[in-house]
Amino acid sequence: MPELVPALLRQELARLADEDKRLDGRGRWDGREVSLEVDCLYNAEGSAKVIIGGTVVYAGVKFELRTPWPDRPTQGSLMCGAELRPVAGRKYEPGPPSPESIELGRVVDRGIRESGCINMDSLCIVPGEKVWGIMIDIHVLSDQGNIFDACGLAAIAALRTAMVPAERFDVGEDHRLEVNGTPIMASFTRVGGRYVLDASEEEELGGDERIHITLGDEGHLHSLQKGLKGVFTPAEFAEIFEVAQQRCVELRKLVAEKEGN
Amino acid sequence: MSQGQSGAEQRLVTPGMAVGPSTGKRAGSGVVAANDTFIATQLGWLRERNSTVSVDPINAAYMPRSGDLVIGMVAEVRNNLWFMDINGSFQGLLPMSLAPWKVEFGGARQHMDVGDVVLARVQEVDECHNVVLTMKGVGLRRLNQGAVERLPVQHIDRIRGENNERLQRLRDACDCRIMVGENGRVWIDGSPEGIRWARKAVHALASSGHRTDIDELLTTLENELKGDA
Amino acid sequence: MMGGYGDVQLLRDDGLRLDGRKIDEMRPVSIEAGVLPAADGSAMVTHGLNVAVAAVYGPMEAHPRKIQRQDRAVIDVRYNMAPFSTSDRIRPGFNRRSREISKVTAEALESVVLVERYPRSKIRVEIEILAAEAGTRCVGITAAAVALADAGIPMRDLIVGVASGKVEDTVVLDLDKAEDNYGQADLPVGILPNTGEIAFLQMDGDLSPDEFNLAMEYNFKAAKEIHEIMVDALRRRYEGGEV
Repeated sequence: MPELVPALLRQELARLADEDKRLDGRGRWDGREVSLEVDCLYNAEGSAKVIIGGTVVYAGVKFELRTPWPDRPTQGSLMCGAELRPVAGRKYEPGPPSPESIELGRVVDRGIRESGCINMDSLCIVPGEKVWGIMIDIHVLSDQGNIFDACGLAAIAALRTAMVPAERFDVGEDHRLEVNGTPIMASFTRVGGRYVLDASEEEELGGDERIHITLGDEGHLHSLQKGLKGVFTPAEFAEIFEVAQQRCVELRKLVAEKEGN
Repeated sequence: MSQGQSGAEQRLVTPGMAVGPSTGKRAGSGVVAANDTFIATQLGWLRERNSTVSVDPINAAYMPRSGDLVIGMVAEVRNNLWFMDINGSFQGLLPMSLAPWKVEFGGARQHMDVGDVVLARVQEVDECHNVVLTMKGVGLRRLNQGAVERLPVQHIDRIRGENNERLQRLRDACDCRIMVGENGRVWIDGSPEGIRWARKAVHALASSGHRTDIDELLTTLENELKGDA
Repeated sequence: MMGGYGDVQLLRDDGLRLDGRKIDEMRPVSIEAGVLPAADGSAMVTHGLNVAVAAVYGPMEAHPRKIQRQDRAVIDVRYNMAPFSTSDRIRPGFNRRSREISKVTAEALESVVLVERYPRSKIRVEIEILAAEAGTRCVGITAAAVALADAGIPMRDLIVGVASGKVEDTVVLDLDKAEDNYGQADLPVGILPNTGEIAFLQMDGDLSPDEFNLAMEYNFKAAKEIHEIMVDALRRRYEGGEV
């Protein structure tokens, strides 16, 4: 069922935008408080819990041994999927994966994959016979806005703290997964006519299109996605791109802190 | 620790908990009698007043009653009626005949479209939760501007206070129009600064806890507003 | 479930279990209410290494119409194991096991919720298992009961999910993973802590009548302990808090 958008909410968001204000009092480029916890689930080889405002997301990493593709006999694989189950909010319904959850999983997947932080050749055990397949599953438990950033952060934090369960599969000793880089996503939503960082649930409800930017350690772009109805100008993109650079540095620092523990 | 109206400590009870003998007393809401004992059926604060034992719930869904003033939102338009979201389990139905305008059959959408916000009253509710709304009455109308806040239904009384005194203080302090719907929605309209303060104030009052000094809290909020000005 | 795993010793020579518990001792349990801001009510239960989260939405109009009951609310339960909750990854989606657990859990919850107060409505209960170490259906029931109370849904009692079983011909309380895999019986129940009634019952394996009675006795003992933790979780959330 599509959500009902109150006409007054859109009016109010437009009026606040004119004064350069937001519903919850934040500045345009201020994010809500972010909490990150790693290695929090038994049975997952890597796990992370992210809370942004009232949004709660878990990610878990699992490994499997598989036969490599014939054309890439030395390469392992990485797959990232997201589930938007009915637990996450009133608007989510049971059923097969929605286009929204597929988009979410694929955007996070691309950011991690294209950053090259996983060397697929390092996942090879016996060329042509045995390679590791890594699966990151993201579970959204509570959606109060900006699930993309929460999912991106949970996924990379779970991956960076994952242990390869080699002993369980009889292929050597357990070891830390090698991850070279921390790709981070920053998301922007058009609210009241202009972009804001880390939109809340109400801002998303009364807002328009969103843009997701995933940046690597050097500030290079690794994944972009524009979602929902709406258009933007190159100048608007230039503005949010600069904010994204800062935001990604901050969140990358947070991941590094938690890894240290 | 939370204080009750008498100043006595109040007791938080959970479903299934025995909360005292039932002899000579009546079971109010959130309480059932079984084997001469009252059993709580809801999470909340136990209350006894005029020999009636009840639980003030900590969380509750809006259950419409006839006569309630509600803030609704148009969810669906048909030729001769509107379906309204009233923050309850079921949508309310506003027939053309109870609209404040003379509506031609098929012309409903010209008066109100999906997403429009209105002030309405519950005309009747039947046993099966069918809700009929009316917009015939003083002050009932479409709300064309302002902001709508959602608050916990069971705490709406904290905004109003006795005889709406607190609500009047809120209105005076920020010079805003404020309407409180029984269904947990509050409409605020005025200057941007006024709306901002009123929004903060109603949320603060609604979540002020099970305490008696709500009026002091309001005074603090009023002083903050004066300080800002 | 069968005995005969001669190489797996589940009880130590000193009479304690592999993880050092006594035979009538349950794993540590902790509960937090109100963990999911999007839900009307929610709870997280950690029971041993199990982690279960429950969210409650509603009451709301029951859709589709054919599931509506004119005289009461229906409780729509989804028990689901996250893909990363077990040692081998689970493919996302409903399977026969989770469908069965969802059904009997819903019926257990319908036995305590005052469903007749909400004709034509549904109450959605979402149980997500984030980490599984034997006994997840019981942990899910406990989480669901706290989440329902947190949502303000009227109930005549809470329900506590507990299990006992049999390993090496000995009745033990609250099987862990190894005991569940190699044990001889498992008896999960849902107990109403105040009335002492039973709203959920399953069993598999082999138990003599006496063993059954002892297993039930352990379950009631554990239910009492867990009930106190449930009440404490609800108190901690609200008592003295700003709500």
